[in-house]
Amino acid sequence: MVLKIKSKVRCSDREVGEVSRVIIDPIEKSIREIVVLSDGEERVVPLDGQAVVTDGLVQFGFPSSRLGQFPRLERGNYQQVKEVEIAGLERHLEVFPGEALVPVPTLEKDITRRTFFTNFTNAIGVALALPLVYPVLRYLTFPMYQGFNNNWIKIGKTQSLPEVDKPRQMKFEVKVKEGYLEREFQKSNWVVKLSDTLRDEIYKGKPIEYKDAGGKVYWVNQPDTEVAVFSGKCPHLGCAYKWKENHKRFGRVFWCPCHLSIYDPGGKVLDGPAPRRLDVLPTRINSGGEIEIIDAEFKAGKEFPIRIV
Amino acid sequence: MNLFNTIYNWLDERIDLKTLQAKMLNEPMPGGSKYAYAFGSVLVFIFIMQAVTGVLLMFYYAPTADHAWQSTQYILKELDYGWFLLSFHFWGSSAMVVMVVCHMLQVFIWGAYKKPREMVWLAGTILFMIVMGFGFTGYLLPWDQRAFWATTVGVEIMDKAPIVGDFMARFLRGGPTAGALTLSRFFVIHVMILPAALVGMATLHIFFFRKAGPAGPYKAIKKDLEAKMEYFFPRQVYKDIVAMALVFVAIAGLAYFSPVEMLDEASPEPTDYNPEPEWYFLFLFQLLRLPIFSGEFGEFLGAIALPGLFMLLLMALPFINRNPERHPLKRPFAMSAIVILFIGIAVLTWMAILSRSE
Repeated sequence: MVLKIKSKVRCSDREVGEVSRVIIDPIEKSIREIVVLSDGEERVVPLDGQAVVTDGLVQFGFPSSRLGQFPRLERGNYQQVKEVEIAGLERHLEVFPGEALVPVPTLEKDITRRTFFTNFTNAIGVALALPLVYPVLRYLTFPMYQGFNNNWIKIGKTQSLPEVDKPRQMKFEVKVKEGYLEREFQKSNWVVKLSDTLRDEIYKGKPIEYKDAGGKVYWVNQPDTEVAVFSGKCPHLGCAYKWKENHKRFGRVFWCPCHLSIYDPGGKVLDGPAPRRLDVLPTRINSGGEIEIIDAEFKAGKEFPIRIV
Repeated sequence: MNLFNTIYNWLDERIDLKTLQAKMLNEPMPGGSKYAYAFGSVLVFIFIMQAVTGVLLMFYYAPTADHAWQSTQYILKELDYGWFLLSFHFWGSSAMVVMVVCHMLQVFIWGAYKKPREMVWLAGTILFMIVMGFGFTGYLLPWDQRAFWATTVGVEIMDKAPIVGDFMARFLRGGPTAGALTLSRFFVIHVMILPAALVGMATLHIFFFRKAGPAGPYKAIKKDLEAKMEYFFPRQVYKDIVAMALVFVAIAGLAYFSPVEMLDEASPEPTDYNPEPEWYFLFLFQLLRLPIFSGEFGEFLGAIALPGLFMLLLMALPFINRNPERHPLKRPFAMSAIVILFIGIAVLTWMAILSRSE
């Protein structure tokens, strides 16, 4: 339907005037009524089935004498569409107030130049951003991958572990350089003096080899090591687990408060979601009976330990 | 003519202020205004309050590992009303999550995500993730034990994503474990990147909404829709501000009667603290304790695959569910799915709370 403001309006007997305004249905988003200007009066006439709209003309089926039955336009009851936000109205509106034109500037008529400018604008934009990508990536990822520290740290004496299979937490101070900050904080591991049963459970008769990122062995724990030192980090998701003397179901166990993984004193998983046993750290005992470790940390959530620190 | 009118008219002559104002306020709402439609406006309000209190906190907060805890203590213990602003910000973040869920639930029940509002929904799901990101990054900033351990575990979870997981986790932490650089990164994400993302996304969300128009009630005949039609202003704006006032009183009340309590300074040595995430992540925390999610693959399923699949499903919802029917009682599958989801979340949360005493 093409309806023009200023279209002529005809009734069945004669021409009565012209369309002066249209009234939009805010829900249907189509023209519901037209305002007919006839003899200096504006009347609101519904555009229902009986109106035939052609180019420049609205033809009603009723005679001109009935026009007076339609209500006069009360302008105060309406608002201009530009004062209201009706979603998608422009796309639905089929009213042409007549085209108002401006000439296209001569220089804008050359379509190839337009393409040229578009392409070069994009190319220069990319060229400006591109040299930044690599430096920014390096800048942001700089501290993410560091080498491993294989220094031996003294954490306590074997004499402080009088009984076998009775784990003790041993705390130690570490000094860490993180970016611009040098911080000292406490860490802890769990140490257990091994009975033969636990020794078999952990070593299964074989030494434990520790490899660096390149696959080179940097330390071997011999099965005859008097104690085992477990990393304090739960291999499930990295929480710090604790020792429980009286767990309801399992008795004397390591227990992680986060996701409730449970390990026996030798680090074997008894229950809970942990994917592997507790991590045994590289350990040696010096002549004075002091326990020394390499403070390695392994990635949580993997079936096999992958060193990350 | 008073001074205000003079200024107003002067501006109108230059920037067509009257039309702009009319366009903003005269948005016809089929079926009229409702308190049920207030959630979006309430979210804008809470965000503004979070931005204001957040900026105020930054006047004294120092985002470095050696001073974050001390400066937060200073805000909490020494500054006049520091405890209140910090507690308001803390409870405001919970209110944000609650309101986002209410907002999404309302849209879901009303079937208002369906055509032609797919883009509104899509932008909304991204906003949901941004809000979750705010909660996660903000949790670390006080640098107490609670903060440190929630972040340690949270980033470990990200590490479980295939291929990119390790990189993403290291990128967030600025290294292989949580430490000083993690705090800097979370700080800049929390106070710069996420606010910019949220403002941008919320603008798009509202733009899409205005383009598609309000959905209105799910059951009504056209005559009623028009008979009850109202503009956004004044009745809906009034209902929105009443809802905002209620939410404000609730947050302020929580901040007053239950102010933030900090634990000891963050350390890899947890003493007797049992780590736990913010309450709205408790169900995920409990989920990972379930036996079916044990082992390396189980962990991947529970920590990455399941939540990832859920988010994808959420985003794809208007594209999967294309039946134009909006009445909730005529969408039994969608309604039972949402009920089951919420029962599941409630049960898991409850289990997590029960096992605290273990």
